[in-house]
Amino acid sequence: MSEKRLSVEERLGLNSFVIDKEPHIKVKYEVCRSCPEKPCLYVCPAHLYTLDQQGNLHFNYEGCLECGTCRIACPYGAVEWNYPKGGKGIHYQFE
Amino acid sequence: MNSEEKFDVIIVGGGPSGLGAAYMLAKYGFNILVIERGGRIGSKNIFGGRIYSYAFKKIIDDFEKDAPIERWVRKERLSLMNDTDALTLELSVGNEYNNSFTTYLSTFLRWLAKRVEDLGAFILTGVKVDKLLIEDGKVTGVLADGDRFKANVVIDAEGINPILIRDARFREDWKPHEVAVGVKEVIKLPKNVIEERLNLGDDEGVAQLFIGYPTKYLPGGGFLYTNKETINIGIVVRLDHAIKNRISIYDLAEDFRQHPYIKNIVKGGSVIEYAAHLVPEVPQYNLDKLYGDGLLVVGDAAGFVLNMGFTIRGVDLAFWSGILAAEAVKKAHDEGKYTKETLSVYKTLLKDSFIIKEMQLHSKIPSILGNASLYDNYVKGIIDVLKNIYAIDDNPKKISKLMIDILHKHDLTLIDLMKDLLTVFMNV
Repeated sequence: MSEKRLSVEERLGLNSFVIDKEPHIKVKYEVCRSCPEKPCLYVCPAHLYTLDQQGNLHFNYEGCLECGTCRIACPYGAVEWNYPKGGKGIHYQFE
Repeated sequence: MNSEEKFDVIIVGGGPSGLGAAYMLAKYGFNILVIERGGRIGSKNIFGGRIYSYAFKKIIDDFEKDAPIERWVRKERLSLMNDTDALTLELSVGNEYNNSFTTYLSTFLRWLAKRVEDLGAFILTGVKVDKLLIEDGKVTGVLADGDRFKANVVIDAEGINPILIRDARFREDWKPHEVAVGVKEVIKLPKNVIEERLNLGDDEGVAQLFIGYPTKYLPGGGFLYTNKETINIGIVVRLDHAIKNRISIYDLAEDFRQHPYIKNIVKGGSVIEYAAHLVPEVPQYNLDKLYGDGLLVVGDAAGFVLNMGFTIRGVDLAFWSGILAAEAVKKAHDEGKYTKETLSVYKTLLKDSFIIKEMQLHSKIPSILGNASLYDNYVKGIIDVLKNIYAIDDNPKKISKLMIDILHKHDLTLIDLMKDLLTVFMNV
């Protein structure tokens, strides 16, 4: 199995998550619309920031690894970042 | 638990620094509460894979006998890596050499937490601290899941994302050039396979760092650590360089695992977990931002990581900063108040400790390690030189000329090489 290249979705599928109903990260999409760089698209280790065919930014908090990279990389402060509620989010088992 | 209860000390975060502080404070007999947001201790903690043991041995007598150690690191490897090849330097030490070990940080922290609880401290898990309570500029406790917990001192051990102290305006958030992003995969393999492939004895482990290919030749590096039945591989890349070069960080770990050198080591293994974490790269040396009225900051939140290029220390420094914060609380207690003034002894303790002495001795390292060509043309050029020296064909060549030609091809001269080598030598 390991010889095969695993997509980031497949790798996130190996992790254990306790998903909250409420997103712990809020993205101010109106700011993103005028952002030419969009570093979030490639620096997020879980690839949770994507563009649709119309070029609109989407963010899915459910596979979040809680690293904080997006918040620091965002040049316009559009990422309202917080930790998930107690007991929610990623639950690492083999770190 | 009665939320009206007041504690001597509340520690936010049950990682290496928070539990270090808790251990020492509980030993001194303080009434303390540790609040951890993870569902259980260790479920939010990530490290590369190794811990230096000296700091723990100083504090915990039976440490080596009792701690959950996977393997003692007896092979240190440093590799330069290009797209297809690797050039490795190995230090292999005999047995009985117990300087650093690999472990699961989560298991290790649960062991430490048990020790802390045995000393009488309370540890609350699955509870997130939402903010620091501040009255007249003094930290008086925390608000967590809607409950107020009061304390004489709050020790902030919240980790690399300093949300609480940022919101309380004690410090600013990190900038991209001050942090690196780490990604890691845990790969499961049988114990004997790991030992055979990496030439390891029963309780021996390897710690290997890689420069070049893993970060797409940008500042940072790759790593490999062995546990008994898992191998950790990962990459740490400076965020500013990753942004500038539009690096798809989510692909880095798999690109590394697919490299011919790594592929052979982990062949047949299964990836069982994928993790990401930030690492402080350019430490904030402003020690005056680490204490306030009723507040001390420890561990990653304080930026205590030391990256020398061939060794990276975090867990030992975090733990020790927790120990020093506990000492500071004790001294402030003896003075009878927990003001910014009495708690400033933390700064003195840090300055007198190996944490700051070591960081000061090596204060130029971050800028040297920021030299982008170290990770690019040096890696490619040196591998190329060695590859050509070892390659035999019907075309006789003089080694010195070959070296100069190849270095030239990679935009390097012998003079550059000497100069950069000297710079490194003078600063380590």
